[in-house]
Amino acid sequence: MAALGKLSQALLRSSFGQTRRQLSAAASAGHAENASRTWKILSFVVALPGVAVCMLNMYLKMQEHHHEQPEFIPYSHLRIRTKRFPWGDGNHSLFHNDHLNALPGGYEGHDE
Amino acid sequence: MTHQAHAYHMVDPSPWPLTGAVAALLMTSGLAVWFHFHSTTLMALGTVLLLLTMYQWWRDIIREGTFQGHHTPPVQKGLRYGMILFITSEVFFFLGFFWAFYHASLAPTPELGGCWPPTGITTLDPFEVPLLNTAVLLASGVTVTWAHHSIMEGERKQAIHSLTLTILLGFYFTFLQGLEYYDAPFTIADGVYGSTFFVATGFHGLHVIIGSTFLAVCLLRQIRYHFTSEHHFGFEAAAWYWHFVDVVWLFLYISIYWWGS
Repeated sequence: MAALGKLSQALLRSSFGQTRRQLSAAASAGHAENASRTWKILSFVVALPGVAVCMLNMYLKMQEHHHEQPEFIPYSHLRIRTKRFPWGDGNHSLFHNDHLNALPGGYEGHDE
Repeated sequence: MTHQAHAYHMVDPSPWPLTGAVAALLMTSGLAVWFHFHSTTLMALGTVLLLLTMYQWWRDIIREGTFQGHHTPPVQKGLRYGMILFITSEVFFFLGFFWAFYHASLAPTPELGGCWPPTGITTLDPFEVPLLNTAVLLASGVTVTWAHHSIMEGERKQAIHSLTLTILLGFYFTFLQGLEYYDAPFTIADGVYGSTFFVATGFHGLHVIIGSTFLAVCLLRQIRYHFTSEHHFGFEAAAWYWHFVDVVWLFLYISIYWWGS
């Protein structure tokens, strides 16, 4: 939030007198009028590869364990149904997943 | 022809504030009607009116600023203050949900098993999809900065590419979160854990969708030559909002996904 405040202050000042480009800390390559090139490089060398690494990590982790269904114990502090959901039969949450989400009475239909 | 002796914008009379207020009334009362009487008519009407209001009001602002020249420096300064104040109010909105989360998780009640996560809750692994989501949003912060500098330097093509990349990353986040919601072993009805998790991340997801839409409008405007290298506040506002969304996610990730697991 402080960075936003600083940036907006700088941009407010720029309406008087000379326009001065404010660069954020990472692009401190001097007064680069080519800051867009700096951020382009950051995008393709750091940011997107970072995403790719996390995607790879995900793929590898998915292979290790397939969805184990958590054991059903009828705890009273879970699967609250004080008021029914305003859709369907009122007993299924919006993103209900038969395999992973038990109803108050247990898993529904085919257990796998 | 009349001239004004000041640089401020005296806005013409407009029906959109009224239609917006009516839309808010219909949506909220419609929500109550849906919950109690199972009819979605009022809520649907309110939503349509809201969408029409937003489209027409913002279209008018673009006309006044970009085409009619009403957004002089003092006017732009006012718009900046406005956006900053709005984002600040949104910060407080999220603060409330973080308060709820910490209230419940720092001193878990006996009903939950006296522990956090509560007994019977299988949490999500913070180093799987949530970590990828973090990388996606951080990357989008880099690409939106690239877009800003491209606009300032008059690099039209680069601005379009980087802005498109930012929006795609936003969509990817939303898609991944949707999958996570479906694959979660707990639901919103699973006590205070489910409530705090889905309300906090749910409102965040809504803000990602809003931010992506805002950026998409900026992309359309950039393609149609609305922005100049000196004057592009609509884009800056969208970028500020996007950074805000990213920061909220970081707090969500650290608090709920990581510490709370």
